Amino acid sequence: MSEELEPKTNPWKRRFAVLFLIAVALPLLLGLILLKRFGGDVPVDYANPTEHFKYGSTGGEHEMGFPYWIWRALPEVCPQYLPGKGYQSLGMVYEKNPDGSERDVPVGTSKRRFQGIDRVFVNCAVCHVSTVRTAADRPPTIVLGMPAATFDMKGFEEFFFRCAADPKFSKEYILPEIARQGGDLDLLDRYLVYPIAIAIMRDRVLALAGRFDWVFKQHDWGPGRVDTFNSAKVIFNFPMAHLDPAEFDAPADFPSIWRQRQRKEPKEMQLHWDGNNTTVEERNKSAAFGTGTTPPTIDIARIKRVEDWLLDAAPPQFADFFPVDRKLAERGAPIYKEYCAACHSASGSDFSGEYVGTVEPLARIGTDRRRLDSYTYTLAVNQATLYAGYPWRFTHFRKTHGYANMPLDGLWLRAPYLHNGSVPSLRDLLEPAANRPQAFYRGNDVYDPVKVGFVSDQPEANGRKLFRLDTAVPGNGNGGHEGKAYGTDLSTDEKAALVEFLKTF
Amino acid sequence: MTTSCSCKTWFKAIGLAVVVVAVIGAMIGYDRGFREHPQPDWVTATPEMRFKYGSIGAEHDAGVPYWIFYVLPRVFPEKFVQDGKVAPGGYAALGVAWEQGQELPVGFTKKTIGFARVANNCAVCHTTSYRVAPDANPVFVVGGSAHTANVQGFFRLLIDCAKDPRFNSDILMAEINRVTDLDSIDRLLYRFVIIPVTRKRLLEREAQFAWIYRPDFPEWGRGRDDAMNLTKYFMIRAPMDDTFGPTDMPSVWNLKKYVWDQGHRLNYAGDSHDAYSVVMDSTLGVLGAPPADKAEFLAQVQWLKDYLSELPPPKYPFPVDAARAAAGKPLFAANCAACHASARTGTPLPLAEVGTDRGRLDSWNKGAAIKANQVVRDMGLERRGLVEEDLIGYIAPFLDGIWLKAPYLHNGSVPTLRDLLEPAGQRPKVFWRGYDVYDQTKGGFVSDTPEAQRVGTRLDTASKGGGNQGHEFGTTLTAEEKDALVEYLKTL
Repeated sequence: MSEELEPKTNPWKRRFAVLFLIAVALPLLLGLILLKRFGGDVPVDYANPTEHFKYGSTGGEHEMGFPYWIWRALPEVCPQYLPGKGYQSLGMVYEKNPDGSERDVPVGTSKRRFQGIDRVFVNCAVCHVSTVRTAADRPPTIVLGMPAATFDMKGFEEFFFRCAADPKFSKEYILPEIARQGGDLDLLDRYLVYPIAIAIMRDRVLALAGRFDWVFKQHDWGPGRVDTFNSAKVIFNFPMAHLDPAEFDAPADFPSIWRQRQRKEPKEMQLHWDGNNTTVEERNKSAAFGTGTTPPTIDIARIKRVEDWLLDAAPPQFADFFPVDRKLAERGAPIYKEYCAACHSASGSDFSGEYVGTVEPLARIGTDRRRLDSYTYTLAVNQATLYAGYPWRFTHFRKTHGYANMPLDGLWLRAPYLHNGSVPSLRDLLEPAANRPQAFYRGNDVYDPVKVGFVSDQPEANGRKLFRLDTAVPGNGNGGHEGKAYGTDLSTDEKAALVEFLKTF
Repeated sequence: MTTSCSCKTWFKAIGLAVVVVAVIGAMIGYDRGFREHPQPDWVTATPEMRFKYGSIGAEHDAGVPYWIFYVLPRVFPEKFVQDGKVAPGGYAALGVAWEQGQELPVGFTKKTIGFARVANNCAVCHTTSYRVAPDANPVFVVGGSAHTANVQGFFRLLIDCAKDPRFNSDILMAEINRVTDLDSIDRLLYRFVIIPVTRKRLLEREAQFAWIYRPDFPEWGRGRDDAMNLTKYFMIRAPMDDTFGPTDMPSVWNLKKYVWDQGHRLNYAGDSHDAYSVVMDSTLGVLGAPPADKAEFLAQVQWLKDYLSELPPPKYPFPVDAARAAAGKPLFAANCAACHASARTGTPLPLAEVGTDRGRLDSWNKGAAIKANQVVRDMGLERRGLVEEDLIGYIAPFLDGIWLKAPYLHNGSVPTLRDLLEPAGQRPKVFWRGYDVYDQTKGGFVSDTPEAQRVGTRLDTASKGGGNQGHEFGTTLTAEEKDALVEYLKTL
């Protein structure tokens, strides 16, 4: 049988080969090329843990990432929605390249090539890095782990929603801007990938706009603050317009994130301003939602690197920036021990103390209640569904009824004070609420070593208009943490000594 | 010869391949569609945990696929409605008892039968939430009335979602893929089988549940259900009538107090002979179908009956004024004991004697009882069952744990004990049910503060089935005597 057929197969063999080439080999090759072009999932990586903290990925780019060149182009496409030039005007921190030019992306953003396009989104550092200047004419020092005191998160969110809704958010405006900035997009990018990406991104952002509509209706948070747990309600798509109005206007300062090990060992502290979670890792994953992560897309390994680094990261010392009067500080030590230590720990590095890391009932602490009320029992139980199906499903969120006593490591960099940042300096905090500034400016990175806090009486810094915080606005109340037990009745000398001692934290 | 031989080999090979594929397919199908996995150990670690989270077998027919259940609040937040208003908070907005750190609320069970499913058990209607103050977290008492649970809201929610055109595989899968990483088999199953079938099954409920959408009936609101109509329309498939008998979810602790041969009957109108029958019938109601495994079902019913028989009523957790309570004791003996601490307790009293709202009584009848008993018998299940007699009125209830059984009367039409001691004309005409802060003065839940109005559902006592008349006993006592009586009642 085979002998008979053989002569006939010769032409067929060739035809078959051609057919194979067209039907199988070529598509396969094309497929491989496309796979290589669009298949990868590669984040930028840095061996150095601090570089990784500043620019490493949490995985948020998968779901939320902006195509790199769109990210770069938007401030020029929609300048009217920014307070000034570039993301710098929102208080984002840019490092310098060795040649003196600014880096292409600010601290707190990461890059990942996913589905064939470089994407940019924020990471932990966007809210936990800032700058300090010892005087207005001195260069800024970038401090990792401190609250992002200059970063205006509300402005950041609003910028993207406004820009996506703007007619200029189209390839006709964005692509030329990319070209102007030197983005040498290849043909595929220019004619296919970016036009589609722009359309998809506009759809995405606008689809999310409804979920973030409430943000526009809040009193401005200003730099250094975020309404953490109303933002968390967005994860569940709570119908925000129907929430109890008492839950809104709940801005809180970004926290510092040093010395996490001591917050979990020897005993687990109640973390977050209201102490609603006692597990560092769970708290971290919860915060990572803010960097755009979702359970399937979070980059656990890279978050773990940040997590590990934070365990022992320590704040810079005040004394490295300004002199400390050691004698005066010594006089402040016993005052601190008598008044503060039980709740705020023995020192900036020794976190022992009877009430450290536990919640103080609101009736006792008396500070603004909105942040507390924004975190509801309803939210707490819903959070227990997060990461369902994963070994690290959230199980530790609890509704509390007060604010947590925090250890004071790096206290000097954590101004303004109280959970809502309603008191500009430590010295002001030692005054009764009525004598604290009724209004002041936030977002300056020039430091006031006398009052211990950032300079708060200037409406502008570096040409950037600062945010005027009015303590009469809902959520901004500067009451509480006052009375004899809180040191507001001390003499002026004692207060000076106490403040001097606090500089050693 | 060679040709046929090679053909045969080919056929054999193909046949074998088909068989192998079919077997593997069937194994995967069985594994992902039907294979039953026991719940994790923590669920059955203690009797209380088992009561709260243990499966009673409802996942087979009434179960909602876990990931659909999970994403419904995110996809359809506007369908969580209470008193006509959107209620934020996902399932928590329906007033379920939800312990912090738990993946599901009390009374919601998760079990994998091929794929993870969510269904209910008894605890969803029989767990009480109370708080000692507005700035306190809730305490959950198992076996108590779920006065916060909006059961009708939950029934409607599932149907309303299924009716929405956005209940489709594209939209639900997009949301599911945002919260978990299903493997490809589960993805395919969800997209092409589980989501479409779930939608179909939920839509089938719409016809059965037609009466819960009746615009001429008031909503059940928090803590009430139209229990006997549920039985009528589901178990015996009776045609819809105009009766409406909303009642409070009852407490089910201490069931051993009911003694059949002393004439004690169960359910508000004495509709059922004994606790075992009630447990079985209620369990069947939650299952929504004949049990998948009869022996397992009977063991479950027996366990529930035994557990609830011995479950003690909760002690009043606040201070009691001992002197005042002592003064209330003789008042109780004189005014209450004849019905509530006597041979009459636990037995039906003629309606005319008590005079409370007759809606619940009219929603059930002898004919329905006979049919329902037949349905259960046909499943091969033995029990004394429902009382096949004309019903005369409501049971005089035992008052164990009465402090936590607010609101009062069978239809929960009186918010507090103190209000119940007022003549009907002076009881609150409108109040809000299902807020869980306890009112230690009046004995009941706070029912009219702005917060109660925001959280709770409005009850108008002029609405169908919601009348607050009757039981005008002790209403002529002095204010001081009434306070003393309420104080004594806290000790029961």
